[in-house]
Amino acid sequence: MNHEIPVQNIGPQGEVMAHAVDACVHCGFCLPACPTYALLGDEMDSPRGRIVLMKEVLEGELALADAAPHLDRCLGCQACVSACPSGVPYGELITSFRGWSEPHRERSPLDRAKRAAILKILPAPKVFSLAARAGQYTKPLAPLLPAALRAPLDLLPERVPAMQPSPRVTPARGRRIGRVAFLAGCAQQALAPNFNAATLRVLARNGIEVVIPEGQGCCGAAALHTGARDEALRLVRQNLAAFDPDEYDAILSNAAGCGAGLKEYPVVLHGLPDEEQARAFAAKVQDISEFLAGLLRQGDLEPPMPTSRPLTVAYHDACHLAHAQKIRLAPRELLRAIPGVTVAEVPEGDLCCGSAGTYNLEQPALANELGVRKAGNILSTTPDLVVSGNIGCHTQIQSHVRRQGSRVPVMHTVELLDLAYRGEL
Amino acid sequence: MTPEKVALTTTSPAPKPRSNGKADNALAAELTRLLGPKKVLSNLSERLNYRYDAIQFGATPLAVVLPESTADVVTAVRAARAAGVPVVGRGAASGLSGGAAPTSPGLVISFTRMTRLDIFPERREARAQAGVVTLAVTEKAKPHGLIYPPDPASFRTSTIGGNLGENAGGPLCFKYGVSGDYVKGLEFVDADGGVHELTRDAYDLAGLLIGSEGTLGLITEATLRLTPPPKYTRTLMASFPEVGACAEAVSAAIAAGAVPGKLEFMDQACTNAVEDFLAIGLPREAGAVLLVDTDGDDLGTVEEERALVEAACLNAGGTVRRAATDSESAALWQARRSVSPALGRIRPQRMNEDIVVPRSALPEVVREIRALGDASGLPLVQFGHIGDGNLHPNILFDPRRESPEAVHDLAHQIALVAIRHGGVLSGEHGIGTMKRAFMRDAVDPVTLGALRDVKRALDPTGTLNPGKILPDEDGTHAHP
Ligand SMILES: Cc1cc2nc3c(=O)[nH]c(=O)nc-3n(C[C@H](O)[C@H](O)[C@H](O)COP(=O)(O)OP(=O)(O)OC[C@H]3O[C@@H](n4cnc5c(N)ncnc54)[C@H](O)[C@@H]3O)c2cc1C
Ligand code: SF4
Ligand code: SF4
Repeated sequence: MNHEIPVQNIGPQGEVMAHAVDACVHCGFCLPACPTYALLGDEMDSPRGRIVLMKEVLEGELALADAAPHLDRCLGCQACVSACPSGVPYGELITSFRGWSEPHRERSPLDRAKRAAILKILPAPKVFSLAARAGQYTKPLAPLLPAALRAPLDLLPERVPAMQPSPRVTPARGRRIGRVAFLAGCAQQALAPNFNAATLRVLARNGIEVVIPEGQGCCGAAALHTGARDEALRLVRQNLAAFDPDEYDAILSNAAGCGAGLKEYPVVLHGLPDEEQARAFAAKVQDISEFLAGLLRQGDLEPPMPTSRPLTVAYHDACHLAHAQKIRLAPRELLRAIPGVTVAEVPEGDLCCGSAGTYNLEQPALANELGVRKAGNILSTTPDLVVSGNIGCHTQIQSHVRRQGSRVPVMHTVELLDLAYRGEL
Repeated sequence: MTPEKVALTTTSPAPKPRSNGKADNALAAELTRLLGPKKVLSNLSERLNYRYDAIQFGATPLAVVLPESTADVVTAVRAARAAGVPVVGRGAASGLSGGAAPTSPGLVISFTRMTRLDIFPERREARAQAGVVTLAVTEKAKPHGLIYPPDPASFRTSTIGGNLGENAGGPLCFKYGVSGDYVKGLEFVDADGGVHELTRDAYDLAGLLIGSEGTLGLITEATLRLTPPPKYTRTLMASFPEVGACAEAVSAAIAAGAVPGKLEFMDQACTNAVEDFLAIGLPREAGAVLLVDTDGDDLGTVEEERALVEAACLNAGGTVRRAATDSESAALWQARRSVSPALGRIRPQRMNEDIVVPRSALPEVVREIRALGDASGLPLVQFGHIGDGNLHPNILFDPRRESPEAVHDLAHQIALVAIRHGGVLSGEHGIGTMKRAFMRDAVDPVTLGALRDVKRALDPTGTLNPGKILPDEDGTHAHP
């Protein structure tokens, strides 16, 4: 797309954005992939439309405030990236744009307070856990609250589990075949501590020593994707200092959103002195499923025990695995490695569940609509179990599946593997 | 909180984005009064998004209407008429000739919310509103053992209204025909806001509207013919060292009596651009790749036809690979469908030709065009429905690096190659604004006069999609 974006005034992030706009040939191939286009049916809420809006704002033809409502409705799911044959890096565009535009935005005091609270609470596991517990007691009051406050409560599980501290080093069991660093994550530690526990058990069982480096923090994705660029830069640099890529075979994450965030570091630091360091770091980052599937392919994965009865597992592709990280096969391979498991493909599998980081809090109506649709599609496969590789999807799917009256267990891929190893399936 | 935020905190169904009512011109205000804010877009952010199609940017409309019924279309057309502004119909804006891009500020009617679709299996018919996405027709007909064959590469995005506006074809058109061949009847709104219901008898007025790019009337609904899908399909891919050889194989296979369901080719640059996207192991080194489906209800004949094509390819110096599984052939066809946008990886802009030449002339034509491209120094690629003689030579360019005049010149020379070999300017993408300038080369003055008379008869005030198809009468014509 022709543009006149004044790259020189914007700096390195301007280059990233101009490149993305340039690459778009406005063919519209991405339209059917976009969840908001599916719901709203208008061009402004489509990827192609948003690219044009960002271009117009950057060129100074359109006021940011006019474009903002449509850009805010973008889930950042990157389904459009998977659908785009021209290779437009839409994810990089919207992230950079949000970072660039946030300081220029006018927001109401309530809006500001809400955003600040999200950005403070989400990345701090202890605070999050406290808040979640407080929320749990407030839940019965939910119907009385305004929608904006109700949304986060709706998502809380009935029981918020106790925090489980993770050991700094988990030694390999038996023969040691590798050593990895692990990003422990934030909200996930509070909402689903078993994800990490299962991850450590599965890795150790397969001869992998796991280190949780001290000084690590939130991956920064939430800050980055909501436009809090300074905060994101701080977190990115904190992690670059904590993880020395030379010390590990891989740097692992078991949350699709965080993994995608870590892999994005070189774009965040594009044009800055530490870009090279970010590149070396990102080259080592892998999702847990990617890493384990690697072991499986090399014949290094201990075979899981067969299930006690045939199980249909509905696998949900988290956007940040399937679209942002292009990981679709690995988790399916792992699930199929469990004798007795059949993987069911979910209709409209590429459509976002509506969770998308903080979207649930910022666009509750659209998020809800997508959640309802996703749960319906999942349940249509009559699964015995539902599996995904991302805490956000997990919470969203669990809450919507329950609301549709189903008690089907919802798990992380490694939890299932862990149960299979223990012969508990 | 802005009104936007309030609107979005209600519960399902999803609220339609609401124009904040700040209509900044009289037309938008009047339309909002008549149709309500939900169906009318008047903010700049909204209007800016309705000024382009997949090839071109045009003028920003004064207002956009998203009708939900034929009655809404009538209201909108009448309001625009009263305001004295042009009306441009728009589907998914995947058009490749500038058809949906307005040439001057006016009203855009975008059909994407007119998506009612009914299947009548006993009559093998579908009744579709204009905004129904093409692929949806087949998807909804499939459980009844029926399909809708027209399959433009854009079929996941494009609409029935836009397909009929352009008389779109697709890989299946070689054996099964183009969109217009599947239309049994049409409902359309004329430039006065009158509603008409057309069948294909008497004067085939429906036929005239098909391919008229929204310049004669706005199609609101269509009755479409459905067919049972062929029982068996076999796919093969052949690669050739050079484009001409590929065209020779096609001519030979057809001369030998094969009637493949699909016969498509892509040259080296296309193959590589797609391989960058899909990474499915396409032969990057081949000068041209041919994709062929033979299909039918009798497996013996289907296999026989595939053998005929295979022999022709081998004879022409090609290498042949058979698709072993359904998913392998699905991947190959997705590759072909992705060619056009994948070319964006080479240069951001392109001039897209859509010529059709007699099959006997194919080898010579593709070689001549290749030579023109090489001589021009511009990146030129070729692909298309080669079985039909429908070629899409594309000139790729970056306006900051390559001169638009050179691009336009090369496009003109390519058009002349087609005409010299007894071909035409547009197989399926339409004339729009892109090829309007070449109409004088392709159509004699008397016929052009007849076309103008038709336009005047149906749209005397020139309200409907002005500046498209027909070159200006005074002899000037704007370059794209
Ligand atoms: C990647 C790609 C691949 C493509 N492949 C093919 C292909 O294989 N074969 C092919 O034929 N085309 C192809 N096209 C071109 C395009 O998809 C077709 O022309 C398609 O029919 C346009 O449909 P649309 O809904 O996007 O219409 P639009 O682009 O919105 O409109 C097309 C024309 O129809 C008019 N129009 C739209 N709706 C109506 C209506 N309801 N009533 C009257 N007029 C109307 C418009 O004014 C315009 O002139 C391709 C395009 C792309 C981007
Ligand atoms: S598919 Fe890619 S090139 Fe096409 S409109 Fe969407 S982003 Fe642009
Ligand atoms: S990231 Fe998702 S929601 Fe945003 S434009 Fe792309 S497909 Fe649509």
